[in-house]
Amino acid sequence: MKDLIKQGLRLGSIFGVVIIFLILFGLTSTLSDILGEFVNLESRTRTGNPGGLMILFALLSLWAGSSASASDRSNWKSALVSGVSVSLIIGLFVAAFILLVGFLDSADVEMRDYLAQLDHLSVQFLLYGRSLIAGVLITFGIFLIFGILGALLAYWYEAKQAGEVIQKQVLVLKEKALDSKLAKQYKENPRSKWIGYGLLGLVVFITPQFLGKYWNYAMGTVGIYVLMGLGLNIVVGLAGLLDLGYVAFFAIGAYTAGLLTAPAPLPLQIGFWPVLIFSIVMAAFAGILLGIPVLRMRGDYLAIVTLGFGEIIRVLIRSDMLAPYVGGPQGIRDIAGPSLFGIAFSGKAYLYLIIIAILLIILFTNYLQNSKVGRAWMAMREDETVAQAMGINTLYYKLMAFATGAAFAGLGGALFAARNQYTGPADHTLMVSINVLSLLIVGGMGSIPGVIVGAFVLKGLPEILRELDLYRLLVFGGLLVFMMIIRPEGIWPAPRRRMELHEGELDVLPPEESLVGKEG
Amino acid sequence: MSETKPKKTTGRVNSFKIIQAIISVLFLAFLSWRLYNVISSGVYGPDTWVRFAISGLIIGSVYAVIAIGYTLVYGILFMINFAHGELMMIGAFSGYFVFEALKSIPVAATGMSFLDSYQIISVVLAFIVGMFMAALSGYFLEKIAYRPLRGAPRLIPLISAIGASIFLQNAAQVTFGPQRRTYTNPDALLRSQGWRIPIGGEEVILTYTGVLTFVLSILLLIGLYTLVMRTRYGRSMRAVAENKQTAALMGINVDRIISNTFIISGALGGAAGVMWGIHNGIIYHFVGFIPGIKAFTAAVLGGIGNIPGAMVGGLLLGIVESLGPAALGIDFQLKDVIAFSILVLILIFRPSGIVGEVLTEEKV
Repeated sequence: MKDLIKQGLRLGSIFGVVIIFLILFGLTSTLSDILGEFVNLESRTRTGNPGGLMILFALLSLWAGSSASASDRSNWKSALVSGVSVSLIIGLFVAAFILLVGFLDSADVEMRDYLAQLDHLSVQFLLYGRSLIAGVLITFGIFLIFGILGALLAYWYEAKQAGEVIQKQVLVLKEKALDSKLAKQYKENPRSKWIGYGLLGLVVFITPQFLGKYWNYAMGTVGIYVLMGLGLNIVVGLAGLLDLGYVAFFAIGAYTAGLLTAPAPLPLQIGFWPVLIFSIVMAAFAGILLGIPVLRMRGDYLAIVTLGFGEIIRVLIRSDMLAPYVGGPQGIRDIAGPSLFGIAFSGKAYLYLIIIAILLIILFTNYLQNSKVGRAWMAMREDETVAQAMGINTLYYKLMAFATGAAFAGLGGALFAARNQYTGPADHTLMVSINVLSLLIVGGMGSIPGVIVGAFVLKGLPEILRELDLYRLLVFGGLLVFMMIIRPEGIWPAPRRRMELHEGELDVLPPEESLVGKEG
Repeated sequence: MSETKPKKTTGRVNSFKIIQAIISVLFLAFLSWRLYNVISSGVYGPDTWVRFAISGLIIGSVYAVIAIGYTLVYGILFMINFAHGELMMIGAFSGYFVFEALKSIPVAATGMSFLDSYQIISVVLAFIVGMFMAALSGYFLEKIAYRPLRGAPRLIPLISAIGASIFLQNAAQVTFGPQRRTYTNPDALLRSQGWRIPIGGEEVILTYTGVLTFVLSILLLIGLYTLVMRTRYGRSMRAVAENKQTAALMGINVDRIISNTFIISGALGGAAGVMWGIHNGIIYHFVGFIPGIKAFTAAVLGGIGNIPGAMVGGLLLGIVESLGPAALGIDFQLKDVIAFSILVLILIFRPSGIVGEVLTEEKV
């Protein structure tokens, strides 16, 4: 009993603190708006939907109550005890916080100067537009009632074993689906793989026709990130060299394209297509140049040096010293877009251009991956010393990985600059490197479909969740941590990497259990 | 785990070393030629050089304090705590709120606010709260973002740390707002005030805030060094850094040591944040990022995992960063380029840092 209460108090305080932070972040207003719209409640204040807020609090306390009773659901009494303890604590935390905020607000303290999300209106919203005491009591009541309800519901669910029944049904359905005729046919037919690819290709080529201008642009950004992801995938995913300054090559590609095609600051104005090739070559060259000195560095140092390199490039293109040559903080304007046979690529056509580039790069990567080079990279990633002993010239292959990855980024940069017809220092911050690395991680390191999934999740999803725009990066950061904890191999991992991460302690396992012979 | 690296005695590596040596000699020659030109041209008088050196020492001492946080964590977990700069930001904001709160409390006896009436207490309070909040954040950071990942491949905690860093930055942005804030220092610590030292006919101002920052940094560094090298607790910390399993067998609670390491490193970051606020005056949600990276540079510069090394690295980085652009006669905007170039050069030519790292080859 004592343990139950203790655990309830602990969980309750965690939930309480998290909810207080949600309020401080202003996420409560956004979430309550979404929930309120969902159940068609009329919004009464500017900052949020009070009805939606009640639903949000109720849902949160249901969650807290049910998870508090998870430890002991043997009888309804223990469920009740844990439910009461957890909901009391959450209620106390949140109600006390709202009371404090409401009191400060009624004393005319301008909290907004210090806490950006708390002004008079949002405090009124937290009190559901009612008086201080009434609002606080309602909040407390919601947490108490729904917390206990959550605990009891969880107990009831467990008692009826409703969960197991549903789980069994899902399993049966899954097995049925896998055993069905269609699935068997698909598995057994060797051509089915190509049919699948064909269908996918068709979808990819038709979709842009149905997208509006905005979505075309957004998908173009996703595509460019796919390109960069595929490049970094070679450096980090295949060769195992952690590069945090990947944006440098992107910048070199973009600036090469910009400088050679724009009228200012250098009056060159060469056409797009030769310049595209030239930017790729320049980026690859920069990759080799950076590669030579850092080749024999180990993981973390390599990360920091590449990060430093990325920052150096950014500071240099921003600086006044180089402004006459590269445009300084204003960047380069009027970069020429591509045109073929007199027709300029823009909008949909440009998206197709990006898609074609991606397909070419995917084919190329696929070829590399399954060739001698790819095997050498993977061997290096697994164990550099052993790879060297097997006669792999690690210096050469590392340089090659750097150059290939950089070339892809250069291509991405050139396409990016030509699409926006502008590029400047703001496009080439450290965040780009981190985004690309993250999409790799989220999608699945070393896997080509993983890169595409990752790019859609990291660059496409935020476009869909426009309402959460302010919280995009906040959620993104939290998601990265969460992802590393629950699924470090990514959404669509390469088979080898999944095994590595789920192997547990390498030292403990006998040699037969290691990677050899496991790959299907 | 006792893998031995093969001796690299192939012709390729040797030619590599020769090329490196030639490049470094040429580079040094170029640097000295440039330095000679600038000094002999007399663009900067002696007072300017002193001013640069002073500001470099002060900023370097802040870097040193942050760098120690990195070094402590790296020494024990072999991971770059990418979110360490954010702990500094949290400390800076906490100190800011303490000053703001104290400023709004009137004291009847003096007719001024609490901040101006009891200045020493106010400053001490700001440091205590800043260090406490940053230490608390460090504790939870380790517990939430790093502890579940112990034993995972090294890239995984690094990504988690990057995620935590982005999360904390943006949490601060949405909570406190994106605007830049000015630290309200107590009267005695106004940023323009200080001792005036005549040098070469000109006056150089040695600001009180700068002196406070420098002295406090040195005190913190000495205190930490004593803690790690001279106490029983420090010995167990070093034991965990050396080998976790053996340390656990010796009866050391490894988890607690790691937690406490994060608390200590967080407190140092928080102190650095308050110092940054008091001395530089401007804080915002992104304030910890660049100093964080620079401090990591400093830690690598001195030899990571090595506490005196981090101090030396921090001070050196600060001085080079503020003297460098002037000495080479280039734009001051490019001081970050100098800092990062030094990092790259050090890592290429002397990867174990100036003082030398404490890590053995086996661990990395």
